[in-house]
Amino acid sequence: MMNKLLSKSFLLSAGVLLAACSNQTVKAPVDTKAPASEETGNQETTEPKTMTDGLGNEVEIPSEPEKVLASYLEDYLVALNVTPVAQWSVSNGESIQDYLQEDLMDVPLIPHDLPYESVLEYEPDLLIVRDAIEQEMYEQYAQIAPTYVLNASPTEWRATLTEMGEVLNKEEQAEMVIESYDEKAAEEAENIQAVAEGESAAAIWMVNNSLFVVHPERSSGAVMYNDLGLAVPTVVSELSSDADWAAISLEALAEMDVDHLFFINSDGPDAAIFEDRLWQNIPAVQQDQVYTFGPETSWLYYGPIASEQVMDDITESITE
Amino acid sequence: MNTNKIIVKNVSYLLFSLLTLILLMSLISLATGHLALTPSDIIKTVLGEGSKRNELLLFEFRLPRLAIAILAGAALAVAGTLFQGVTQNELADPGMMGINAGAGFFIVLYLTFRAQGTRSDGLWQMMTLPIAAFLGGLAAAVCIYAVAWKKGITPIRMILVGIGVNAGFGALLTILQLRMDQRAFNQVTIWLSGSIWNASWTAVGSLLFWTLILLPFSLYKAKTLNFLQLGDEMATGLGFHVEKERIKLVAIGVALAGASVSVAGGIAFLGLGAPHIARKIVGNKHQRLIPTAACMGSLILLLADMMARNIFSPTEVPVGLIVAVLGAPYFIYLLITTEA
Repeated sequence: MMNKLLSKSFLLSAGVLLAACSNQTVKAPVDTKAPASEETGNQETTEPKTMTDGLGNEVEIPSEPEKVLASYLEDYLVALNVTPVAQWSVSNGESIQDYLQEDLMDVPLIPHDLPYESVLEYEPDLLIVRDAIEQEMYEQYAQIAPTYVLNASPTEWRATLTEMGEVLNKEEQAEMVIESYDEKAAEEAENIQAVAEGESAAAIWMVNNSLFVVHPERSSGAVMYNDLGLAVPTVVSELSSDADWAAISLEALAEMDVDHLFFINSDGPDAAIFEDRLWQNIPAVQQDQVYTFGPETSWLYYGPIASEQVMDDITESITE
Repeated sequence: MNTNKIIVKNVSYLLFSLLTLILLMSLISLATGHLALTPSDIIKTVLGEGSKRNELLLFEFRLPRLAIAILAGAALAVAGTLFQGVTQNELADPGMMGINAGAGFFIVLYLTFRAQGTRSDGLWQMMTLPIAAFLGGLAAAVCIYAVAWKKGITPIRMILVGIGVNAGFGALLTILQLRMDQRAFNQVTIWLSGSIWNASWTAVGSLLFWTLILLPFSLYKAKTLNFLQLGDEMATGLGFHVEKERIKLVAIGVALAGASVSVAGGIAFLGLGAPHIARKIVGNKHQRLIPTAACMGSLILLLADMMARNIFSPTEVPVGLIVAVLGAPYFIYLLITTEA
């Protein structure tokens, strides 16, 4: 009895669906041409290559991808002269990578967690993903476009750039970018040693009234210490944590024996910390060797462009 | 279980309306989202004339999701109905009694081991995940039975022990989660709060397989549930092996809950709410109650999923949270209006 009922209802609802369909087909011609393009494809002259990505998937990569999406890897794309179809953003564009906007001004935003439908919206032909994602997620993205998860650690921008170069068929350019960066770094390191030999530096980031110090081998830390040869203060090397930026108390900061303090201020000039006696007693503050930068600068990021901008900031601050 | 007055006498009419409503909601759900699809887009795509993007959007992202919402909603609702029938308590629910937590615990355990071993392909995982979930739910059920057993089992003991078992498995899950790295932790948290954004056709297939077997079977057991409602003594007097039947029914409920947890995560309140609403409409007879509850469950989860996708579009909210947000006021309302 129940089965009969169910099948009856199914039939009837199917009828309703059909009726609804025929209603709609009438006005079909009005709004069909959604921004869909199928003109790409079949134009490649060279063979697409297959690479093994960071999840172990064999990815067939188009030889000349035209619509690349590589969220939070835009720095590398810009360095390789590739304009992505969309760029990383947080909270509807409240936070974007400001330091790249000269090159990415006209590039639309995509939420940082890459919702499937947002990715689909841009119809990329190649997706490069920075961090290892779940295989289930990978499979969903792979339906939209060939998806390549990087093998390189996100904290190593040179390795990341090299791998991006391989994926995008721009190995030589990647190599060139690294070479010219290293040349420039060697030069600037000399300039800095000339005026500040053996002097130490630290980068502190203030956000929501909390302080963080940069990891000595990562992001702007790598530029300061590895590339430009500034000395690592003991407190910084002791804060061994796996984070790019490790939390540090104002007390610990006050005791830090550091010559140059690069201060990335996400809280604005009226932050309470500047009124604090502890802050005012920091040696670098008293000697006026604090250089303040806004969150729109590249200090918090990774990549050849971010690193070069940080390098310029450091040399300008110290040598002038 | 006092039988309130029955609102709808004619169940076939009601079921037809509910199914029509589900269909209507499905169409709306398919059309809405970050990328809008007009009805004509949908029709063109179904006929194979749509753009490649719309095809992908419809067939690979929205349709499997829709199917999961409908199937998982029905499965959870029926599981809830079974548990409420077995325990003779309208507040029983696989989520509250630790069945979902047990299933979730086993799944997380299974996924952790899988992560350490070799990677298996999606299909294998999709077929084995419900089994892991079922075993976990069963483990929870066995725990409940073992502890609550005292020369037979009384429904109220079963519920109280179930709540304890729920807390126990919740704690085990927390321990497991604390040993994970940040990323895995976040993933599991989102998954546990009920999420169907990774819906794939393999997941649909696995859930469909289980519901196609278990839903008709539940319906077949409707009469037994009606007898259990008369109380253990009466049912025994009528020649029922009460304990045996109870175990069978619990197993079906666990399997239903496990299958749905394995694809949709821990969606709370649905197993409680859907049968509850259904009972208000069609009364206590399980031949009427089970299909109505199933439709209700589908409808609620469908609605919740639509909200989950659209409220903060394109960013998504776990659908389980939406169900809970919708469910909580309903239960407060119930508590206020029901006489002691």
